[in-house]
Amino acid sequence: MTRIGRSLYGRISISILTLLLIGVAPAVADDLSPFAGQAGTIKISGGTAHIPVMKAAAKQIMQRFSDVRITIAGGGSGVGIKQVGEGLVDIGNSGRKPTDEEITKYDLKMFKWAIDGVGLVVNPKNTVASLTTAQTKAIFAGSIHNWKAVGGADKAINLYTRDTASGTRSVFWKKALGKGEISAKANVVVSNGAMKAAVANDPYAIGYVSVGHMDESVQPVALDGVTPTLETVKSGEYKIARGLYSNTKGEPTGLTKTFIDFLFSETGQGLAAAKGFIPVK
Amino acid sequence: MKARCCDKLVTAWAWLSGLVLTASIATLLGFLLTKGAGTLSPALFFGDTVPLDALLLKRQVFEGIFPATVGTLLLVGLAVGMAVPVGIATGIYMAEFAAPRTKAVFGLFFDILAGIPSILVGLFGFSAAIFLHHHFSGQITPCLLISALSLAFLVLPYLIRTTQTTLENLPRHVRMTAPALGASKLQTIFYVLLPQSLSGIVSGIILSIGRCAEDTAVIMLTGVVATAGIPASLLSGYEALPFYIYTVSAQYADQAELMRGYGAAIVLLAVCALLFALTAFIRHRLADHLLYGAR
Amino acid sequence: MRSQGLVQGLLAVAAAGSVAVTVLIFGFMIVLGLPLVTSGTFFNLFTSSWLPNEGLYGIVPMMAGSLFIAGLAMIFSFPLSLGCAALVAVLAKGRVPALLHRLVRFMTGIPTVVYGFAGIFLLVPVVREWTGSGSGMCILSASLLLAILIAPTMILFFTDSFTGVPKSYLAAADALGATPVQKFLHVVIPCSWRGLTTGVLLALGRAVGDTLIALMIAGNATAFPGSLLDSARTLPAHIALVVAADFDSLEFRTLFACGILLYAFTTLTVVLTRRMVADKGGAP
Repeated sequence: MTRIGRSLYGRISISILTLLLIGVAPAVADDLSPFAGQAGTIKISGGTAHIPVMKAAAKQIMQRFSDVRITIAGGGSGVGIKQVGEGLVDIGNSGRKPTDEEITKYDLKMFKWAIDGVGLVVNPKNTVASLTTAQTKAIFAGSIHNWKAVGGADKAINLYTRDTASGTRSVFWKKALGKGEISAKANVVVSNGAMKAAVANDPYAIGYVSVGHMDESVQPVALDGVTPTLETVKSGEYKIARGLYSNTKGEPTGLTKTFIDFLFSETGQGLAAAKGFIPVK
Repeated sequence: MKARCCDKLVTAWAWLSGLVLTASIATLLGFLLTKGAGTLSPALFFGDTVPLDALLLKRQVFEGIFPATVGTLLLVGLAVGMAVPVGIATGIYMAEFAAPRTKAVFGLFFDILAGIPSILVGLFGFSAAIFLHHHFSGQITPCLLISALSLAFLVLPYLIRTTQTTLENLPRHVRMTAPALGASKLQTIFYVLLPQSLSGIVSGIILSIGRCAEDTAVIMLTGVVATAGIPASLLSGYEALPFYIYTVSAQYADQAELMRGYGAAIVLLAVCALLFALTAFIRHRLADHLLYGAR
Repeated sequence: MRSQGLVQGLLAVAAAGSVAVTVLIFGFMIVLGLPLVTSGTFFNLFTSSWLPNEGLYGIVPMMAGSLFIAGLAMIFSFPLSLGCAALVAVLAKGRVPALLHRLVRFMTGIPTVVYGFAGIFLLVPVVREWTGSGSGMCILSASLLLAILIAPTMILFFTDSFTGVPKSYLAAADALGATPVQKFLHVVIPCSWRGLTTGVLLALGRAVGDTLIALMIAGNATAFPGSLLDSARTLPAHIALVVAADFDSLEFRTLFACGILLYAFTTLTVVLTRRMVADKGGAP
């Protein structure tokens, strides 16, 4: 090829490539670019509802920047708050607002980056699709223990609840059950994912799970006529909502700050929406 | 006749037991293998990352069990590496140097250590980590190092016991020949007794490796997490195969993840089967080969 | 000679260190559980139920859960193991004993988590459908799986004691015209009672100390279990579940009470086992 031909060819390819890069990667490049040049580990633990978003964010970040490492653990909101307060992790997620006591004791800074709901779920094979608050309270207290009492099959109700560290449980207990009793005979599962798996596998189960986690494997139950979905939580019609918080001890700095900023960026909020939550922006 | 009847019943019961046991295990393992056989492929380990990049640690793996496998390997290596010297040394001491009273007392302690539920060792590791975190350095958290140490404590009694038993069971004439030729006690131990006990000691090491690879209770409390990639340092969180299997079974997000769980279970089973075959091989062939060359 | 002293010293240090580890673990339990005693709630733990809302952190339901699950597992497993051991050591001929023995040895290497995984997806739905009530995550399922888990331990011990019976006794029985089963029942079993007891004790220790099977399969409810089909929580599963809680609170410290209980049970098992073995060594 002649020199002229080669340089023309070269220039055209470079132009095309540049156009492609500009056209395709603008949003991603902008929101992730603060991570460039940074190195280190971000330790995250706590709320299990947050985990899908954390995992997706970690994947995007770690795929672009191999010097950044992010470890993600669950444990529940209580664990997240304690661990970040004790300095065992950098970011402690919680599915409930930390109490004033926790905020002062641990000097917490809270960042609410999404809104989520907590809804009742049953197995898709269950014909019961709607319950009143009174029925729900009775079921969880253990006084109603057969599905036929609420219009279902003549089978015992298998209760599933969360462990005491759970923010999801705390929100459900306060807002849906009015701080009523949860039977000690209920099966205890340790995360939103576990609740979903348990209810999906047991035809006579009832439990409560984050609205963002609901998919075809479980069936949401309308509470007082309102079905817990993304739309009803957004509009405020479904009352049992909670914010998804990421908490740090003191003001976040360095890599942690970059990550928190990323959660509020367009990409980050897009991830939250993709996983079934309501972005705050 | 009454005796005949009794005979038949007992024999039937014995055969029934054997049958029930074999059938249960066959069902459990067969279920896992049939469900999970389809998942065994590079994609199980590496997800959508290029295998070579993942192996050279250039790229992280998502949706694959490679990080968990690496975590388990590191854990086993560290734990066994720490436990073997101490365990074998203690075993030698117990078999060769300890006075009868000491032997009895120490033996009691080691048996207790062997019997401690693994969750307690995990609780100890967790509490120790928190204690060190508060009083020594804020850098110390439940991590790879703490887990490895706790696992080392867990398998220590196995190593002690196998070393001690093998040494004690050596025939008397083996013990007598070297001193008869003028060897000192140390020389006898290191040049005669230990080489003769090699197969037993190596079996103990393999047993420890298996124990470290499969343990979940200890690592659950001392630093394993659901997502960590390849651990960056000894003080970081890590993933491990048994914990991966446990997490998937409790909270799989979709069918793909569930299938990866089956695959991971098969991989872990394969590792344990391999170790089992290795032990059998060593017991039958290797010791002779090492000591005396080909026969 | 000097180097012998040095080496011996090093070995002694290793041994002492190993002993120290055992003591250290117990020490941690005691020290960290001390606030329970000083705050006066220690004995409450062993008498009341787990009601965190009312400030009650009693571990009675967990003790019951451990007792029922381990006990039921032993009830299922003991006859099974005895039968298998009989088959291997005494009653079967040809290749069956060797094959079964190899299978049992292989089973000791199967990870507990793999049993649990298969149990969740195979056993739990089956129990749910067969019993028609409950979620399948109950004492029954956990006991069945645990029975399979501890059977190899017992079978191996039983087999070893059966084969350790002096051949002269067996020959004598043969001379009197005993059938294999009669030999088994009247000579082998009585002679091996120490090995049998040791095997049972060790398997019991293993059953009580196992965390994963109960954690994955028994449902983890905090109520005192009322029936075999109720969800229950064992002491080790309780530790695993609560460890995530605040590590300074009273709730967390109750874990050390659980720990002390388990440690004490283990020590008791070990002491009894050693008593068995020691007596045997002393007898002619």
